[in-house]
Amino acid sequence: MEPLLSLTLPMMRTQPSHFEQGGWMNNMSIPLITAEELRQRIKDGDSILILDVRNEEDYTDWKIEGGNVESVNIPYFEFLDDENAADDRLAENTEVITVCAKGGSSQYVAEILQNKGYKVKSLEGGMKAWSQVYDDTLVFKGNRMKLFQVIRPAKGCLSYLIASNGEGTVVDPGRHIDVYLEMAQRENVQITHILDSHVHADHISGGPALSEKTGAIYYINTSDLQGNPPFSYKPLEKTNHISFGDVEVEVLALQTPGHTPGSVSFLINKKFLLSGDTIFVGGLGRPDLGGKAQEWAEMLYKTVFNQIKNLPDDVLVLPAHYADISEINEHGIVGAQLGEIRSSNQAMQTKEQKAFTEIVSSAAATETPPNFETIVAINRGEKQVDEAEATELEIGPNRCAVHHHG
Amino acid sequence: MKADMTVDAKGLSCPMPIVRAKKSIDSLNTGEIMELITTDPGSVKDFQSWVKQTKHELLEHKEEDGVYTFYVRKG
Repeated sequence: MEPLLSLTLPMMRTQPSHFEQGGWMNNMSIPLITAEELRQRIKDGDSILILDVRNEEDYTDWKIEGGNVESVNIPYFEFLDDENAADDRLAENTEVITVCAKGGSSQYVAEILQNKGYKVKSLEGGMKAWSQVYDDTLVFKGNRMKLFQVIRPAKGCLSYLIASNGEGTVVDPGRHIDVYLEMAQRENVQITHILDSHVHADHISGGPALSEKTGAIYYINTSDLQGNPPFSYKPLEKTNHISFGDVEVEVLALQTPGHTPGSVSFLINKKFLLSGDTIFVGGLGRPDLGGKAQEWAEMLYKTVFNQIKNLPDDVLVLPAHYADISEINEHGIVGAQLGEIRSSNQAMQTKEQKAFTEIVSSAAATETPPNFETIVAINRGEKQVDEAEATELEIGPNRCAVHHHG
Repeated sequence: MKADMTVDAKGLSCPMPIVRAKKSIDSLNTGEIMELITTDPGSVKDFQSWVKQTKHELLEHKEEDGVYTFYVRKG
């Protein structure tokens, strides 16, 4: 491609760019794409070429994936020395979406590319905006209930709304509670119950806030909290059965410790196991985030080989996370039958307890989720943060699942 | 550390601290030292990565009350 401008350094250009004028943030000539629009285009299966201009380390940690997304990483500062830095790696006539941490550097690179003749859009708000995008998909629709899975693609977080004749239960909500309020309105239900499968370490729970807003009862396991939280809750360890809707919908709390000592799974209508962070489509929860990997791995063993053992193979496991986008199936849902998970998961086939504990705790000793200690403190109600701090804390990859478990 | 030039990028966010630093260091002679002062935590890792891929040398960097200072010798 012939560059439209001579290949000179920005300060030597004949036409000063918006950067030299200092007003580039208001540059209206660079088209922007919102995180919502991008999410919709990925969901629609569009071919998308992303030029991620963050540094290599941040890119490797956490990037936009899914659908037909192809992404290329060239840090923005490489364009300072060479405006042609991307030429060998970008196809001509293909729209490029530039992405950075907060949306500034992606505009800078977009301007360079646009001047060279590329068709380019910059992701407004960058990965910070991407981290706040949610999307919901209908998993099951019966006469008595509808079950929706809510995906937060940037974090790999999954939450659920179960709607039944005017009443709704939300499981493992993220902190952007408007998502659930809007869904409830759309489905014509009043949120009456909110369940957290455990104290989350990678994201801030929307449970207490959603409970306050709707008057719904918030359930969590007491052993995951420490001390007296400033919010009211019903202890899951004393709850065997929750019903809502005018049709009876059974929610059975199964004690499934392992990820955290108070982790719980929810068995709905004996068909759906909302497994929190205990069992994933591609592996088991990591047991090391409390600093007692060995002890918790033993509890995870008991969970897998005692509590879960008697559930039939055709139970659909719907976890609170996915570790890899390959876990999203062709319907856009993260879920698998318990039988499939049993047969494909190495750890779940390792009946010898010592070997199991070793596999699980060694795989877990990798990097921890960013800011997980602070996030846990917030979810226990020990610490309060404002919106800006909450957003900053949640930026970055999800590392809650044990990887490499096949 | 004594610098031949100081770039004050306080209050600016990505990519401006590095854009300014790049322009400024281009005007120095080889061996001279540039000081960059920034308050944008996001540019800290980026700046170090950028210096690494140039001929310049990062001599020192420090953080004090949210203010990051870098000293770079032009290569």
